[in-house]
Amino acid sequence: MKTQLFSKETENLVEIQDLKKWFPVQKSFLDQLLAGRKDFVRAVDGVSFNIRRGEAFGLAGESGSGKTTIGRLAIGLETPTEGKVIFDGIDLGRQNEGELRRLRRRMQVIFQDPMASLNPRMTLGDSVVQGLKIHYPEAAEKHRDTLLEIFERVGLTPARYFINKYPHQISGGQRQRVVIARALITRPELVLADEPIAMADVSVRALLLDLMVQLKQEFNLTYLFITHDLATAKYICDRIGILYLGRMAEIGDLKEVYSRPLHPYTQALLTAVPVPDPHKRRTKSMPAGEIPNPINPPSGCRFHPRCPIAQAVCAQQEPELRELRPGHQAACHFAEQFL
Amino acid sequence: MNDTTPLVQIRDLTVTYKTRLGPTSAVDKVSFDIRRGEILGLVGESGCGKSTLGKALLRMITPPGRISAGQILFNGEDILTFDEKRLRDYRGRQASMIFQDPMTSLNPVQTVEQHLVEAVEVHEGQTQSADIVRRIKTLMERLGIMQSRLASYPHQLSGGMRQRVMISLGLVLNAGLIIADEATTSLDVIVEAKLVDQLREIRDEYGVSILAITHNIALVAEMADRVAVMYAGNLVELGEVNRIFDWPLHPYTQGLLASVPTIEIHERKELFKMPGEPPNLARPPAGCRFHPRCPAAMSICSRHRPGLQEAAPGHWVHCWLYQDHPEKEEKTLKAAA
Amino acid sequence: MEEKPTTPDAVPQWQLDLDKVGFVRRLFLARKWYGGDWWFVAVSAVLLLFIILLGAAPQWFAPYDPRAEVGPALLAPGEVPLGYVLVVPAGSTTTSIKDIGTNKNNIGFVVGSPASQALRKTTDELNAAEKEAGTGITYQPRPRRYETNELGLADLASGKIDGFVASMEELEPLLPNFPGVKVVGNLSGNTRTFTLGTNQLGQDVLSRVIWGTRIALIVGLSSAIAAFLLGVPLGLISGFVGGPFDRILTMLMDSLYSFPGLILAIAIAAVLGAGIGNVIVAIAVLYIPTYFRIVRGQTLSVKNDLYVEAARSLGTPPWQILTKYILPNVIPSVVIIFSVNVADAILTEAGLSFLGLGLPPDTPDWGIDLARGQDYIRRAWWLITYPGLMVSLVTLSFSMLGESLAEILNPRLAEL
Repeated sequence: MKTQLFSKETENLVEIQDLKKWFPVQKSFLDQLLAGRKDFVRAVDGVSFNIRRGEAFGLAGESGSGKTTIGRLAIGLETPTEGKVIFDGIDLGRQNEGELRRLRRRMQVIFQDPMASLNPRMTLGDSVVQGLKIHYPEAAEKHRDTLLEIFERVGLTPARYFINKYPHQISGGQRQRVVIARALITRPELVLADEPIAMADVSVRALLLDLMVQLKQEFNLTYLFITHDLATAKYICDRIGILYLGRMAEIGDLKEVYSRPLHPYTQALLTAVPVPDPHKRRTKSMPAGEIPNPINPPSGCRFHPRCPIAQAVCAQQEPELRELRPGHQAACHFAEQFL
Repeated sequence: MNDTTPLVQIRDLTVTYKTRLGPTSAVDKVSFDIRRGEILGLVGESGCGKSTLGKALLRMITPPGRISAGQILFNGEDILTFDEKRLRDYRGRQASMIFQDPMTSLNPVQTVEQHLVEAVEVHEGQTQSADIVRRIKTLMERLGIMQSRLASYPHQLSGGMRQRVMISLGLVLNAGLIIADEATTSLDVIVEAKLVDQLREIRDEYGVSILAITHNIALVAEMADRVAVMYAGNLVELGEVNRIFDWPLHPYTQGLLASVPTIEIHERKELFKMPGEPPNLARPPAGCRFHPRCPAAMSICSRHRPGLQEAAPGHWVHCWLYQDHPEKEEKTLKAAA
Repeated sequence: MEEKPTTPDAVPQWQLDLDKVGFVRRLFLARKWYGGDWWFVAVSAVLLLFIILLGAAPQWFAPYDPRAEVGPALLAPGEVPLGYVLVVPAGSTTTSIKDIGTNKNNIGFVVGSPASQALRKTTDELNAAEKEAGTGITYQPRPRRYETNELGLADLASGKIDGFVASMEELEPLLPNFPGVKVVGNLSGNTRTFTLGTNQLGQDVLSRVIWGTRIALIVGLSSAIAAFLLGVPLGLISGFVGGPFDRILTMLMDSLYSFPGLILAIAIAAVLGAGIGNVIVAIAVLYIPTYFRIVRGQTLSVKNDLYVEAARSLGTPPWQILTKYILPNVIPSVVIIFSVNVADAILTEAGLSFLGLGLPPDTPDWGIDLARGQDYIRRAWWLITYPGLMVSLVTLSFSMLGESLAEILNPRLAEL
């Protein structure tokens, strides 16, 4: 049992407990009446994991996996249908509007589309400094200095030039830096990065990744990194969780999951990702079928219709996440064969 | 019948756009061939002109852009001289295109079958409907689309399925060239992998040439026979895929390849960070457009533009490092054969 | 001491160049990109300035008091108001009474007619003027009296007298019978005309039209501004808050909106009674739903934009989200609507006064003039033509302004 030096300090910054988020398909009562039933898109259907302080946790999956929704739930931008989100020991579901807003200072977001996430009618400086104005209004005289500092830190130099520009006057890579600056200016503890480099140019991605890794060190950040690009995740994430259709398929230390995946879906994913080396072309075949409809997921294990090792029990019983190696869990009835 | 002449020959193609800041050459004197039955990967970042080139191949450049110079020879005929009627025959029947967003490229009020039948009827008016149906059925089987899907509307199909319908639209008319413009960018990785397999199979079976336009380097390594790299409207390197990846000659290609993440655990722990940004094409740098960012830039690079030269058999580079010039002081490098 | 990372991007030169694109340059860039629209802006700006000047200081431009009866009724534009005229023999070189004003000249008139008074008055005025000028000239033509105009004209034709004075009205029917005489113009030598003619009350149309600009602008602008100030915040809040409040308000606004505009204005004006203030209120109420709908629609769409979500995730309080993030992105579309709205308000105001609602009857207002003039279309076309033309012109310039604003306000004009 670790001795805790600070009584308030918990090892896990974020705890996700059995999180569910279902979106109704029929929006109004009339639609429901006509359809005869209530349908839900089960975007997140029972996910649990923890994010340790100071780590970069990756949440990977394809479309329909629920990764973006989990991200939004984790920082309180959505309320769960069931389950809890605990941030530094605080249950987000039990906070009122005002308290939640105050908590925002400690958890920030880097969105995917930098152009869309910046107010087109606000200067870059204004957009970024808002965080300070909201959470540290009393230190107004320090705002400008902090602003210039953060701009320099993310590489937007000369800072005085950039703070007066508008989003459409700079390049995509620069915009993403502005978004990063905006997220970090309040010195948050948790940063949700939702596909932060997906829209940047190929040659700029390496720079942004590097920047994010450095900033994590300097600012002592914890990342929740959402991505569909497993190759990119390798460069920034310590641990990774693989989602399939709203459930966690596998979770563990990234290097281990990538080198010895225990869930057939993870294996398929890793095989499918193209490698930038023509000598290493994929030879294995891909699982049949496509991702099913999240309104009516398959019974039992959601992956069973496409799984190469599926047996009868897979269609009947949904497997739980089991720890098969220290720190490495998989939700598969037959994962042992891959140990 | 083994025709070894290239299917497509592009010579000094230039596409200019009129913009607020002046005329920009989105594609600037680009020349290369597309061989029969090959998969050519056209790679570059956004703004390099690769999509514009793809559109130019179907003469789909709309004002304020236009094809201002060059030739595009398809089976020996210059498509830039085609009149409307000939062009309509060319598009769809001889060359077809798959776009990035399949949802908006398919007609939402037509079923899959109606799409295909219409395509055939427009181009081959005289074919009997029984023949058309038979052709479609065989094609669907080949592409792995279930017969029951023929009656579906586009919104009822998944992304991967829609792309396959797009491919089938090209194949049902026995097109010789399929241009895939970021066709897999919006797809999940497993679906993308299956589509890549499909494209390779189609190439093997039908002998179509595929021009795969993408910014995804890894994808190109996965599927292409030859690779063409574009930067700021210029074609900077062209060669066999193995050669390009093992011995990239152009500094941009070298930088690009070194900056691509890979999923392999023990490979490439650090990514190369390319300095600078792609230039504004309305005010491109003088001489070689890459020189402001190039680690090997020489004085001649800012004064004269190098041409595309064969530095090794089948390996072409657009770089002063491998070419001679009277004003050049530095030694010319020799590429290993 | 941490080392600053080597960042590769110094600001590229072309980006710095783009900064030199100031507002004026942007106007020129608009021309290059969009073709001919710069002249659109120029023309509408000039027109608008002119109109505003007219409305702000009509007294500088209008020659007469719009309410004063300054001339004969229904005088055509440019027509000389002929009162009492001087008739001379056809071959004579006389141009005015001054030529035949000595005591050697004989001037005839009908005995006891007002023409004699007019003659005396004119000679008195001329003498007074000459006395002031100190020229020492006196006009004292010898009067010759006749029983009828015909007798006088006959003598004129045969040269027995040098000139004859009578009113134009009387002379008109007689002149064809006396080819030997000609009319040289007003007795008083007055050649001043009314540029746009006069209306049935003898008021100068030009002055009325100019003063009408002021009323039109006041009513048009005030009602548009009032509608703006009420409709925009309501739309914003309604779109942002949603829920039952939004639903009820939308229903209300939609029912107002679905009324045919003029009829609603009439109803309100009738209820409120006369007066310019009530007219403004009536028209303002008419346009509130327009702003409400546009702003609400825009708010609903902007509300879901990513940057609003980003603001929320920053912890921005809702009030700030509304004012800093949603409002600035909604306003541009409204500004354009506003300018078109002013044009429409002016039209509606003209319509209301045309129907006799609202403004006091003698106000120099285009609508009132249009109403009064409609019976005279054949005889005196100028009564409705000029007010109508002004309405069109003002409407046109405000609409043009709105269109050109759409181009200039577009931030993408200085885009990469």
